[in-house]
Amino acid sequence: MTCALPKKTQSQWATFARSWFLIDARMQPPGKIASMCSVRLQGKHKPIYHPLSDIGDHVVVMNTRHIAFSGNKWEQKVYSSHTGYPGSFKQLTAAQMHKKDPTAIIKLAVYGMLPKNLTRRTMMQRLHLFPDDVLPEDILKNLTEELPQPREIPRKLSEYTQEERNAFPMLWTPPEDYRMK
Amino acid sequence: MTARGTPSRFLQSVLHNGVGRYVCQLKRISLIFSKKGQGSLGVRDFIEEGVVDFAKNNPGTVVYISPQSCRIPKIVAEYLNGNVKEETVTNKASQEIAELITKLSNQSGLDIIRIRKPFHTDSPSIQGQWHPFTNRPPRLCIVFIL
Repeated sequence: MTCALPKKTQSQWATFARSWFLIDARMQPPGKIASMCSVRLQGKHKPIYHPLSDIGDHVVVMNTRHIAFSGNKWEQKVYSSHTGYPGSFKQLTAAQMHKKDPTAIIKLAVYGMLPKNLTRRTMMQRLHLFPDDVLPEDILKNLTEELPQPREIPRKLSEYTQEERNAFPMLWTPPEDYRMK
Repeated sequence: MTARGTPSRFLQSVLHNGVGRYVCQLKRISLIFSKKGQGSLGVRDFIEEGVVDFAKNNPGTVVYISPQSCRIPKIVAEYLNGNVKEETVTNKASQEIAELITKLSNQSGLDIIRIRKPFHTDSPSIQGQWHPFTNRPPRLCIVFIL
């Protein structure tokens, strides 16, 4: 990083560098992913933050196809849109929206969490969403940091070894002729 | 005019003057006046009374008295950094001229324009300027390229 810049400009140039963050959204709630994205797109994770300064970073989200809504939101959460023409009120459930476009849910969530001003569109341009874990080479080269996932993924029963299953404490031992439903 | 249209500079001192010995920044002061004009009356009175005391009090400043046939009397102050300041003193009283000369001797030669910030430091950061990798554990900077 030693260039022919005087010492003060050189240290200031590093301060205003734009980083590229990577988030893996597999089995994560899209709202938590979106709030992490919006914090970094605005630049609120930096001590030099100012709303007019345009110091947000780039955020790359991969595996958006495999996000996990909690509860019954896949069927109950409704995304509505209206183009303004009569008869064009569309309502899509989260599942239908996800099938149509696997990146749309996170995109709309981040869009709603950013400040509602003219800088929002520039910040959305710095958000990069990919449905699977295949990332283009130029983006892979730019990444600086991977952020930890917000939700701890619980293990499936098939992922536990037999020893762990045996070691798990039993509340009561059923008699031999007991029939489990 | 607006602040953007007029020139501006940052706060500075000439070679950290005053940290060690204070050096008077006024190099040369020339009083240009006429021997018989009405406007130079105040200058002539000042030369009679106050100039010699001023010159004795400021040994680092050279005082030039030049009577010429001129319509408007002037005081030309030259500073160590090369700036030249001209003030016309037509119809000014001797007292006012004395005050003006003390003001010029107290100034440094820097331009009198808008100062962008009322503070300046050569060491803006003590603990080191923040950059995106301060306070981040180095473990987090490993990215698994799939």
